[in-house]
Amino acid sequence: MKVVVTVKLVPNPNAEKRIDPENKRLVRAGVETVLNPYDEYALEAALQLKERVGGDTTVTIFSMAPDSLKEGLRRALAMGADDAVVLSDPGLEGSDVWATAAAMAAALRTLPFDLLIVGGLTDDSSTGATPGALAEHLGLPCITNARKIEISDGAIEVERETDTGYQTVRGPLPALLTTALTFAEPRYASLKGIMGAKKKNIATKTLQDLSLDVPVGAAGSKTELRSFAPPPARGKGKTVEAADGPAGARAIFDFLAEKRLV
Amino acid sequence: MKNVIVYAENRRGQSRKVTFELASEAGKIAAALGGAAHAVVLGPASARLADQLTNYPFESILLNEDPEVESFLLDPIVDYLAAAAERLGPSLILIPNTLSGRDVAGRLMVRLRAGMVADVVEVQVDGDAVVCTSPKLGGALVTRCALRPADYGVVTVRPNAFAVATSGGTARIEPLERLAKSYAAKIESDVEEGSSELALEEAPAVIAGGRGLGGPEPFDTLLKPLANALGGAVGASRAAADAGWVPYNLQIGQTGKTVTPALYIAVGISGAIQHKVGMRASGTIVAINKDAAAPIGEFSDLLVVGDAFRIVPELTKLIETAKGQHS
Ligand SMILES: Cc1cc2nc3c(=O)[nH]c(=O)nc-3n(C[C@H](O)[C@H](O)[C@H](O)COP(=O)(O)OP(=O)(O)OC[C@H]3O[C@@H](n4cnc5c(N)ncnc54)[C@H](O)[C@@H]3O)c2cc1C
Ligand SMILES: Nc1ncnc2c1ncn2[C@@H]1O[C@H](COP(=O)(O)O)[C@@H](O)[C@H]1O
Repeated sequence: MKVVVTVKLVPNPNAEKRIDPENKRLVRAGVETVLNPYDEYALEAALQLKERVGGDTTVTIFSMAPDSLKEGLRRALAMGADDAVVLSDPGLEGSDVWATAAAMAAALRTLPFDLLIVGGLTDDSSTGATPGALAEHLGLPCITNARKIEISDGAIEVERETDTGYQTVRGPLPALLTTALTFAEPRYASLKGIMGAKKKNIATKTLQDLSLDVPVGAAGSKTELRSFAPPPARGKGKTVEAADGPAGARAIFDFLAEKRLV
Repeated sequence: MKNVIVYAENRRGQSRKVTFELASEAGKIAAALGGAAHAVVLGPASARLADQLTNYPFESILLNEDPEVESFLLDPIVDYLAAAAERLGPSLILIPNTLSGRDVAGRLMVRLRAGMVADVVEVQVDGDAVVCTSPKLGGALVTRCALRPADYGVVTVRPNAFAVATSGGTARIEPLERLAKSYAAKIESDVEEGSSELALEEAPAVIAGGRGLGGPEPFDTLLKPLANALGGAVGASRAAADAGWVPYNLQIGQTGKTVTPALYIAVGISGAIQHKVGMRASGTIVAINKDAAAPIGEFSDLLVVGDAFRIVPELTKLIETAKGQHS
């Protein structure tokens, strides 16, 4: 079985984020990147499937990222993925969620897979729309928020979390899945994994390798960033040392009363 | 884009507050676009939601109580919404930014070849563009993003962004034509667990507990009574969820929920960046922490340094007493 996992490289959440005032794009140069947290869970699900199904099951990472970031994918390879494919092209710069999904779908069409596992949400753009968009482009069943996966006879059975409980869903393969954060904690790369990852293959595709019927990049995008600003400053407020429980409670109560919150 | 279509997400006619927030705002946006607002209501037993929506300024409410909507994933909903969009013509489609709302939005974006902006808290019409305000990068930046002129646009809206106000309802409820289709992935069983809890994202007050609570019991004995007194809901840090003290659906932060209540009280939470991004946009933030140097103090309106086990019960009593005097 062939499993493909989409992984985005996102700025470290602890790093300062800047948007270039000239081109209004997130400055990624010089900012440390990490694997998008949701995608680590997606990868963990894929690796567990590989361990369970065994045989000739392979896990391939797919990412759309500038060439300069692609070495960051070694971390995913160190966790246990077999190889990686990166879609990288200057013509993709400035792609919004529409253009990104169109380009990713075109690239994914060139990769054979039985199961495509996508993260639920990115840390930087956080649209959460990519899984649905890819499913629609690729004509795949879209089973989101999975916490348990069984594969048998070309079919997939998934237990998925809903807002109010859970459902079991059965569908054919190929299919697209996203994983819930309850699936399992992503594993750490072992030393052996880290060493082995150095020799694994990261293949690059460019727009020329795809047959795309829509423009992508900034020109193909359907949205345009007009302006951005930091949120209204939230300064350090008051600090009150509470002598005892009642004094602490009184301090909070008076504060809330002043703000008309009680 | 001329009209506005609200996707009235519901489960057997039960809907979240965000649906009514969208219903309240849709008319204003439609007026600015020079069109009309419409709602789409789908699924078994949803007629009563359609009835409720007649109190809002819609021109029409398109309804289909197709029971099959519950048998499949979101496929039928996407098909019905696309059919409604075609029938109503160029429009901006408002979808709640919920777990399933996000899936619907991504699929509809592709189906309608529409532009899309996510997690929007404000929509303005500027000439022939629709400009959406949304926090990005965990709230580190607030962006204004324009949907370029096109037939369709899709927007997911953050709960608690718009105020609910009923007014001028004259809408007709009209049937949306039945699409009898079958889909590959089928729901075999559907289990409800603890749905009576107030949805965390919609609660006007959130009382969140962290590792400082030391175990599962204080969530019930300490935080729940305070949340009840304030008419709010209980949330948690990841440390508390990871420890198994509370279910993951109470986790707030980067890998949990984003909440924007009028009042957020963090109890025994240190205030890591991954927690902060899920609650920083709350109205008023109060922290109770033993440690005067806890990072949460840097972005709280009030930090009370002390023992949560002593402070919280007293606070609950004060609030209950005050409420008793007013009623
Ligand atoms: C990729 C990634 C994603 C993450 N996502 C999230 C997320 O979504 N949400 C999230 O919350 N975290 C997330 N985290 C974890 C985050 O970094 C912190 O580890 C976590 O928020 C800490 O939880 P805490 O504040 O409850 O615990 P701690 O940091 O241990 O803080 C406990 C606090 O309780 C105080 N305390 C102890 N006893 C008392 C008492 N009796 N009275 C009052 N105060 C007391 C202590 O002084 C301390 O400040 C994520 C981390 C990573 C790496
Ligand atoms: N550039 C990208 N490269 C690889 N995967 C991506 C990319 N953008 C989005 N994704 C996938 O889509 C998921 C949801 O992204 P988003 O819609 O941006 O919140 C992520 O968790 C990733 O798995």
